[in-house]
Amino acid sequence: MMKTISRLRYKYWPDQIFGEILQKSWMETAVPLAVLIFTIVFFSTQIENFISPANLSDNFRQASELGFVVLGISLVLIVGGIDLSVASIFALCNLLVLYCMHVWQLPLPASIAITLVFGGLLGAVNGILIGYFRMRAFLTTMVTLIVFKSIHDLINVKVAVPISSNFPDSPMWDTMGYGSILSVPTAVWAFGIVALFCHILLTRLRPGWWLLAVGGNRRSAYNIGLPVNRIVALSYVASGALTSASAIFYAARLASPGADTGVGLEITVLTAAILGGIRLGGGKGSVMKAILGTLIILLLTNGLLRMATSAGTARIILATILLLAAALDIRWFKNRHKAVQEMYVSPAYLKLPEMPDDVAAPNAAFAPNDRLKNVETIGLGMIEAPEDVILDADDNLYSGNRHGEIIRFFAPDYKRHEVYARIGGQPLGMAFDAGYNLYVCVGGMGLYRVTADREVELITDETNRSLLSVIDDSRLKLADDLDILPDGRILFSEATVRYEMHEWQTDALEGRGNGRIILYDPKHKKTTTVLRHLTFPNGIVLGSDGQSILFAESWKCSIKRYWFDGPKKGDVEMVIDNLLGYPDNINVASDGNFWLAIMGMRSQVFDLAMRKPGFRRRMAKQLPGDEWLAPNINTGCIVKFNEAGEILDVLWDMHGENHPMITSMREHKGYLYIGGIYNNRIGRIKLDGADETFVSSGKYHVG
Amino acid sequence: MKLSNKLTFAAAAVMSMTIGGTAIAQQSINDPARDDYYATMKDRKVVFVPVFMGLDLTEGWSKIMANQAEALGYHYEVRNSNFNTAAGAQTITSLISEKPDVIVVQNPDVQSYARLLKRAEDAGIHVIQLNMKTNILTTGFVGADVVAIGEAQARAAVEHCASAEKPGKVLILAGPPTSPFSAYMLRGYENILNDNASMEVVGIQSTGSYESSKAKSITQVVVQQHPDLCATLGVWDAPDIGTAAALDEAGLSDQVFVSTSGGGGELSCRGIREGMWDHYVSYDVPGQGRDLNALISSALQDTNEVGSTKTVLYTPLVEFTADNVDQQDCWTLDSLR
Amino acid sequence: MKKSVNSLKLDQQTIVTGLFLVIFLMFAIFLPGFFTAGNLLVLIRSVSVLGILGLGMAIVVIGRGIDLSMIATLSVPAALVMTLAAAGYHPVVAILAGLAFSIATGIVNGVLVAYAEIPALFTTLAVGIGIAGIGQSGMFEYDIIAWPVELDSIAWIGRGKIFGLPYSILAFAAAALIVHVFLKKTRLGFFIYAIGDNLSAARITGVRARPIIILQYVMSAGIALFAGLVLSASSNSMDTRIFNLTWIYDVILVVVLGGIGLSGGRGGVMNVIIGTILIGTIVNGMTILNVSFQGQNLVRGLILLSALLLDSIVNPRNEETAKQGDI
Repeated sequence: MMKTISRLRYKYWPDQIFGEILQKSWMETAVPLAVLIFTIVFFSTQIENFISPANLSDNFRQASELGFVVLGISLVLIVGGIDLSVASIFALCNLLVLYCMHVWQLPLPASIAITLVFGGLLGAVNGILIGYFRMRAFLTTMVTLIVFKSIHDLINVKVAVPISSNFPDSPMWDTMGYGSILSVPTAVWAFGIVALFCHILLTRLRPGWWLLAVGGNRRSAYNIGLPVNRIVALSYVASGALTSASAIFYAARLASPGADTGVGLEITVLTAAILGGIRLGGGKGSVMKAILGTLIILLLTNGLLRMATSAGTARIILATILLLAAALDIRWFKNRHKAVQEMYVSPAYLKLPEMPDDVAAPNAAFAPNDRLKNVETIGLGMIEAPEDVILDADDNLYSGNRHGEIIRFFAPDYKRHEVYARIGGQPLGMAFDAGYNLYVCVGGMGLYRVTADREVELITDETNRSLLSVIDDSRLKLADDLDILPDGRILFSEATVRYEMHEWQTDALEGRGNGRIILYDPKHKKTTTVLRHLTFPNGIVLGSDGQSILFAESWKCSIKRYWFDGPKKGDVEMVIDNLLGYPDNINVASDGNFWLAIMGMRSQVFDLAMRKPGFRRRMAKQLPGDEWLAPNINTGCIVKFNEAGEILDVLWDMHGENHPMITSMREHKGYLYIGGIYNNRIGRIKLDGADETFVSSGKYHVG
Repeated sequence: MKLSNKLTFAAAAVMSMTIGGTAIAQQSINDPARDDYYATMKDRKVVFVPVFMGLDLTEGWSKIMANQAEALGYHYEVRNSNFNTAAGAQTITSLISEKPDVIVVQNPDVQSYARLLKRAEDAGIHVIQLNMKTNILTTGFVGADVVAIGEAQARAAVEHCASAEKPGKVLILAGPPTSPFSAYMLRGYENILNDNASMEVVGIQSTGSYESSKAKSITQVVVQQHPDLCATLGVWDAPDIGTAAALDEAGLSDQVFVSTSGGGGELSCRGIREGMWDHYVSYDVPGQGRDLNALISSALQDTNEVGSTKTVLYTPLVEFTADNVDQQDCWTLDSLR
Repeated sequence: MKKSVNSLKLDQQTIVTGLFLVIFLMFAIFLPGFFTAGNLLVLIRSVSVLGILGLGMAIVVIGRGIDLSMIATLSVPAALVMTLAAAGYHPVVAILAGLAFSIATGIVNGVLVAYAEIPALFTTLAVGIGIAGIGQSGMFEYDIIAWPVELDSIAWIGRGKIFGLPYSILAFAAAALIVHVFLKKTRLGFFIYAIGDNLSAARITGVRARPIIILQYVMSAGIALFAGLVLSASSNSMDTRIFNLTWIYDVILVVVLGGIGLSGGRGGVMNVIIGTILIGTIVNGMTILNVSFQGQNLVRGLILLSALLLDSIVNPRNEETAKQGDI
């Protein structure tokens, strides 16, 4: 009973989702978001009409004004600086734009332009001092705060009266201050556009990456030749200009040359930025964080004001929330990666059929032998990790290696070799089309083609995103093997969507249906996923009817058949359900049957562990990765089977002398060529009585 | 009234004459204005937006307003902007959408809230300004005539110093340089001192945001340079505690005439009695409170369009000296009603 | 050779000392009434509270932190002492209560910085706001508290003179001496330098860094209380609103101008004294000249800026050795 419950729980409860959600980069902003939601919920229960359109519009208008400054200071913080002078820049710009509008009566665009330039210039003072003279940001902007403020105070006394005794006649100016466009306040529109631009800048454009690079590691940025001084200086210019934009909207709303304009603003915006999760010291930060921080601080202060909280209580509440939020965010930032590591691996229940008794008996289907003992070795020590091997019409031998290249061994003796093509990722399964263009599944990159002229081309690296998947499964993570269909389409397997290639053992430990089979249609250049939730789908080969494929599901130790065409289109049937090991690539044999590589042998211990997901979960949480159980892949064999699922022949290297580790094999003109991903050679063995003209690949055109 | 009632009434009247006061209610008549008055006040809302709380001025005003609210049954609330003009502006902005009946606002300066106050009145909210005007006039203003305070202080200083043979040296301790309250006061000083050739202003210094420590160190420096200082004029009592401390340490308390101004609370009397200050111009917080309450209740009863009447009430000033201090009110928060 | 290079080295302390001498001489020559014993005493006395605060800040900055809550811990606990004394408690009880309050504040700061690992800048900012809030929530009747006669027995720390020296200068001197001995002669002081210079290295060598970080903030809070008592005794009242002012920037400037780097591990009491006296000289001279408040701020700001600029030109930062995360 308990077993059934546990089985059902591990089968249907989506364990993996928690780890996947936690891993998302937007989870970095989880704490600020939670604080914001909490703030909104709290105040909307305490204050009537807190979520009324009028109040929201007020709050968003003010949030946008504040948001400009927070964006500015965020840019500076990202570069690893700080800008306290924003408060005084704000005050000066407020005064300037009011003087332009009220006293000089300049047209609105001119006033705005003058003020923005002026703000940028004030920022440039900081920028030059900090960027080029390399002064300390904190002290420098603190002193410029004082200097700008005293300039403001000196001027304010003289211009406040003229400003408040004239009123400009500019409906546009009023619209900026308290008007709306499509019932959204003007300031919100402006801020939205600027924020969007900043977001694109930071995430998509080179200058934004430079900002992050300088903030992340100034020394490295300097050493790779970035103009560090200029980048730092420009961030202060941006901060000044954004602050002046804020001052313009503030001026339009209140038209007030008040003496204490902007006092304490530096503290407010710094608080907003830190609450949003932007870190002092640089390299971390996003527009989203700046916006969240701004909203939190604004709703908090406005809400406390509206509740008529006494000043003392309001300050105590504010301080408590600031500290709690910061402490939470810092804990979160520090521990999220650990939590992801612990939670991401989520083993599933996987029951394999009992292994046949007496596997080693002389007359058993898999009875061991030593027929691979005398395999010839090709390229011993010259190739690393040949996962798959293939031969062209001239008998040249191709294989991928760990360094991301395809190596060609020249017929007839395969003593010479050259780099046929450089791809950049490890080549796995391969297939030739009729024009001898080589199609390759590349781990971590997708499906590639090396043309007969040795040009490397990308065929596809993304498929349709599934609706309910948390992780982005549109990118191909581990394309594994492929075959070309008679109609020119390509079917290929993707072993897992949850792990990188080098983490395949973790996927084995999980034993979950993380893999899929994907169809590439060259006519429409469309890639679609046709089968999902397969447990490490691996080898693929076209069936004899031309309407189906046979594919291996490694951790399920089974071979299945899938019809992509014909009357049984869409059906999946079991071919072999109880292999002795983990099946890898499949290829056709000259007699119409199929060769299957077994990359490693099952063991009772691992099979038992697969039925105990709780045990594996504890193991993954409590032990370092290199002490986890892993499937055995030291010893493999080659099996010949037919479409009825009967085992016809087995080839072993019992004593591990020449070729124990096998991931693929290909029959070519009477020989069987053998590859193994953890091998440093390619093997070749003469097949008795095989068709000496048989070529396994290059039958169909793609397209 | 029905006959039976009349009879009862008559009987009761006789009864009451015989028994005395116990049944006097039976004799009473209803004031026709009274019910209306209370009904009008019921459940209305008045919000006070001060620049700060925690000082005798605002705490005093607030207490008086709260007392009337309790007596008349309307809601009274304080939204403290705590020395932050932007917070005050936010408060008024959200009040415009909340629509209370009356906003009482203490302006931080002449311009900051002007536009918002006009919008509030346009939205149908009565706005009463307190002690600091903006450059637009709303339903009401209650406060001191600041220029007159300055003139009164300066006149007292001239009176004290004119007897000296050489020009009387005066130190002026102003508030924040951009505060109009302080600027108006300086105008008052100027009005008198400029006409008096016998007076010499040796320094006009700002005490920052009314810091007593700053007032003290300025006074110390000036006294070093001008040991024959004759008078100091301070715009507010709080920083002038520091002024007095500096003079006390320099042993000049008797020589230098210290004039200051404020709300006339217990501190003012103590300051005069202990000899910290020689002259104090009070703008009488309890009196201002009564004016304020009168304006609030008339605003609540006003059925005309908001802003159609505008009332300005300047507070009568009271000058405290050692001679008259014992006749002064010297209010405390507890004595306010 | 090496010695001559050293003797020519212009570090920030030398630059600021030079600047101070130039300004001082200019005032002394051109400003009548500046170079008199009376005025010089007034000059130092006017900045002695700033100097005492600077000493507290110096301890924290040397340990690579910063304490923005000092102004709040200056005013609120001192006001508490005065209120309790006025309410009839014995002065000793009142002072102990104030001390307990400020130590608690220091511990809160320290724990949040050392254990919760919130940046010091942010922690002390928020704690300062909180302390000011506590001060405003009914603890005191008014924001400005007058010095009660009950405390006149200790009023001498801010008022009066002995042998012609005002006590507040002596208070500054005494605080300077104590902090100097603590930093240079005790093991804990040495550990603070080690932590400020390189936290990880200090930890590896076995320094228990976290308790010492807490100690830094407790000390700065205690010193702030002392400064608060001197200040309120001197000006006869304590204004708890000074939290709103930009005082804290002056304190940081006094510390850093003298040459205590914000990146920690450098400097000592001498630097604080030089920075304090420089600011005092500028303010005093300009007050004699009757320069307006805003004008004083402007001139002061420009002089400070040029001092920082000069230092950064003479001793440019090295991209290769600059510490990551310094601001």
